[in-house]
Formats: sequence, structure tokens, C-alpha cells
Amino acid sequence: MSLQSSLEKLATFRKNNTRNSQETFEHGLNILKSGASLKLGDESWAFLEQLALAAIDVNRLDIADQCLKQLGDKFPGSPRVDVLTGIRMEATEPPSTVLSYYDELLQANSANAAVWKRRISVLRRLGKVDKAVEELNEYLDTFYTDVEGWLELADMYSACNQYTSALQALSHALLLTPQNPFTFLQFAETAYTAGDIPLALKMFLVVIDMNETEDEDAIPLGISVRAWWGTKLCSRALVASNSTHVSPSNTSIPKNINLIDELATERVLTAYSGEQGIQARSLVSNWMSGR
Amino acid sequence: MSSNANVSLYLDPQIRDWVLFPITLVMILVGILRHYVIVLLQSQPKQLPRAAIREQRALARSQILRATAAKSPIPPSHYTSISQQLSDAFAKGTYLKDGPPKGDSPAAAPNPITDPAAMDGMMAGMKTQMVMMVPQMIIMGWINFFFQGFVLIKLPFPLTLGFKSMLQRGIETPDMDVRWVSSLSWYFLNFFGLNGLYRLILGDGNSADSSRDMTASPFAGGAAVASPVQDYNKLFKAERDNLEFSEGLHNWVGNDVENRVLRKYGKLAPAY
Repeated sequence: MSLQSSLEKLATFRKNNTRNSQETFEHGLNILKSGASLKLGDESWAFLEQLALAAIDVNRLDIADQCLKQLGDKFPGSPRVDVLTGIRMEATEPPSTVLSYYDELLQANSANAAVWKRRISVLRRLGKVDKAVEELNEYLDTFYTDVEGWLELADMYSACNQYTSALQALSHALLLTPQNPFTFLQFAETAYTAGDIPLALKMFLVVIDMNETEDEDAIPLGISVRAWWGTKLCSRALVASNSTHVSPSNTSIPKNINLIDELATERVLTAYSGEQGIQARSLVSNWMSGR
Repeated sequence: MSSNANVSLYLDPQIRDWVLFPITLVMILVGILRHYVIVLLQSQPKQLPRAAIREQRALARSQILRATAAKSPIPPSHYTSISQQLSDAFAKGTYLKDGPPKGDSPAAAPNPITDPAAMDGMMAGMKTQMVMMVPQMIIMGWINFFFQGFVLIKLPFPLTLGFKSMLQRGIETPDMDVRWVSSLSWYFLNFFGLNGLYRLILGDGNSADSSRDMTASPFAGGAAVASPVQDYNKLFKAERDNLEFSEGLHNWVGNDVENRVLRKYGKLAPAY
């Protein structure tokens, strides 16, 4: 493992926001021991932060403390180092200590988004979901553009069976990233769980529509398989219930629901036509015919 | 003119060593010094309290919503509820930093001079201006005092007569070839042309180049910083109309999606 390749790898991790803690830690330790980090110049601080986080992840707190000390000496009072110190405290200290530490930081600067988010995550881990949801709502009211925050809020609501609220949080996430099919898929699945079948069907179809590259004969892969399964589940329920479904969002049931049902059956079966899928195919077709 | 072009001036090499190079060197050094002085003078960016950030970003929030309206990713019921909620909040002034306005007394337009936050921004602009103006005035005085009327250099390419006022400032000779450059003009050429060199020495985003600041008056800089002092209440009221307008434009991507998908897989005849 040469130093050069280690450094390059870590730089790529930083750029792509890859967590990969074990690998980061091994590469980082290698660099730290050889003392090459001193030659990095300004980049060495980013490296130390990365290594500290990875070290906390793999429970090598001694290394993390070493990094933190260097960072703290260089940047006293930096909010970024404060957050890192907080994360380090979360590893060993009782949650109440960490919470009061974060409270102190927030009092000094009420607009410190990173500390605020850490605080919310600690609250959630403690099981104080009501408090966490309340804080997260307030946080998102200020920092509206935080997509991760909205997804986390949706996740918290879903965990408490508050699917309608989860849908609202997800719709904000959708507004912020209308290009991400995975958010649409999550919205569709949440709508399905909430019982809003027509809305879920539409959203599953949007996901399929977004995967433009797929042509007619291709075998659905990845997210498409899931979306087709969802479509099948929705259309099956809608066909069976003969349009008695009430949608809370007033979404109308498509007129050619039978065609969609047929298409979904066909596509799901296609998904199981490959070499690996062939054993499951009989199971799937049994399920399809036995409505 | 043709006879004049043949007559060549002979410049003392000492002019090159003691005037041309010193002027250039001094200007480069002053630029570098200026960069570091400005770095020192720069005040910390002011940290806004939470409520102020919320106020500032509330507009972006409705802009995001409006931008997606024509091909909205969310169904109409969700869109309307978000839109209505924002509109109500704007009407009530929930997002205002100091809470909803009290009574019907129209708040006076905030005066940037009385607001200490805006004043800071203006002072910062003035400080950089001073750091730029003082050394440049000293250099110009120095050149004017010691080297007035010096011819410093001959450009290696011919130029038209139009460049005379640019290259021979400070020497009133109607017949001299335009290729000769006077000391004052050499100063101006350096003044406007050294930016590329600074970028090589100090990296991008340096503050050594003073010609850039010439275009910005200290009060223009102050105005840009003072913009957060805008009357958000009025902006929010205006945004409400925009929201209402976008609500009419709303079109969910899911509206026709089943037909699009069916067509894609050949289950439905193409629409055209």
C-alpha cells in the first residue's frame, strides 16, 4: 500500500462522500504513522477530520483523540471541530452529557446546522421521538433545502405509523429532488402503506416512466423490478375491489386499469425470466394466477 | 510622419534600470502587500441568528415550490396544501424575524445608516477602498513628481494614432511615434494589466488587483450588504400573488403517466 495511492483513495472518498470507515481507517493510519500528513499542507486538516470520523466508526478512539487534538490545536473554537468533538463524545459519554454539550454550542450560535442535526439524531437514538420530530420540524422550517432532513423526518413518521405526515415530508423531499426516482419509490411505497392505492399506483408508474433507458424487451432490473411489483400490487387491488377505493388525495383510478394490470403481470414475469430468476418464476406465476 | 518614423530616440539604459523596473516592481509589491492587508482587515462574516436565516430563506422556499409547478412531482392535493400553508404564513408574517407585525402602523423602511449590521458591511467596503486608494495615490504622486515626462519603453509593434492619449499621457508631443510609452501611461498599463500576474503569484480570488475596485464605489458595496435589511414583509406579500399564480399552473407528472407507460410498452396506440 503506497502512500501515494492511499492519499488518492482518501481524496476520492472525501470527494464522493463515501463512508467506508474500515478502509478509510487503514489507509489513514498508514499515512498518519508515516507522518506524511504534515506534508499535505492545508489538505491535511480535511484528512484528519476524515480519519477521526472513521476511527470513531471502527472504535479506535485513541486515534480519533489524536486527530482531534491536532485539529483543536490548529482551529480553536471552530464549529466544525466542535461537532467532531461532539461525535467523539457520543461514542463514550452518556447521552445527557452530549445533549448538554450540544445545547451549549447551540446557545452560542443558534444557527449552527450541523450541531442541531447531531442533537436531533441523539434525541432520536434516546427514543425521544416526539422531541426529535418537533426539533427536526423546526430545523427544516429554517433550513428548508436539507433533503436528508426531510427523508429522516419521513422515516421517523413512518416508524410511528404516521404515514400521512410521512407523505407530507416526502413531498417536500420530492420538491427538492424531483430527479431522484428513489424518492418517488419511497413516496409510492409510503402511499401504498397508508392505503392510498390510486396515488401509489401513479407514483410507481412515474418511477417506471423515469427509467427511460429501459426498452420493451429488456429484463427489468433494480429499482424497476420493485416499481413493477408495486404497480402489480396496486392494480391487482384496484381491479379486485372494482373502484370502490377511496383515495385521501382524490387521485382518480386510471381508466385502463386492466391494461396496466396485464402489463404489470407481464413485466414482473419478465423480471424472473433470467437464469437466476427461473426458480422463483413458478412461485410468482402461481401468485399471479391465484387472485 | 514618415520622416519622423525614421528618427529614432535613444533611451538611456539607466532609465530602464532606475525607472521602468522600479515602477513595475513597486506596483507588483504594493499589490501583494494590499492583498495581505485586506486579508488582515477582513472582518469575520457576521453570524446570523436563527430567526434571521429563517426569514431570508423563506422566499427561496416558495421559489422552489413555484419552479416545479409546471411539471410538479407531487399530486395536486399535496401541492395545494403546501402552497396554501406558505401563503398563509406569508400573510400572517410567521417568517418575519421579529414576529408578525403589530397593529396597522406601517413599519418605516429600515434605514441602513441606523442599522448597525448594515453599517458594518458599509465600513468593510470603505476599508478596502481606503487600502486601494491610498497606495495608488502615493505611487501616482511619486511617478508624477520624479519621472514626469519620461519616455520609458518602445513597444515592439506599430499602433495607430488613436492610442496616443493612452500611451503618451504626460508628454505633449504631437509628432512622436505612438510606440513610445510615457511613465504615467506605463503606470496605468500596469494598474490595469497586472491582474494576471497576481493570479499567478497569489492564486485565484486574491484582492491585490485594485482596478477591479475602481468600478465599485464604496456605497455600492454597502448596498449589496445592506440588502438583507429589505422589507421582508412586503416581499412576502408580493410572493403570495406569485404562489397563487403558480397554483393555477400546477400540473402533476402523474396526471397522464399510465398512458405514457402503456404507450412505451406498446399496449396503447400512440397519441398522434
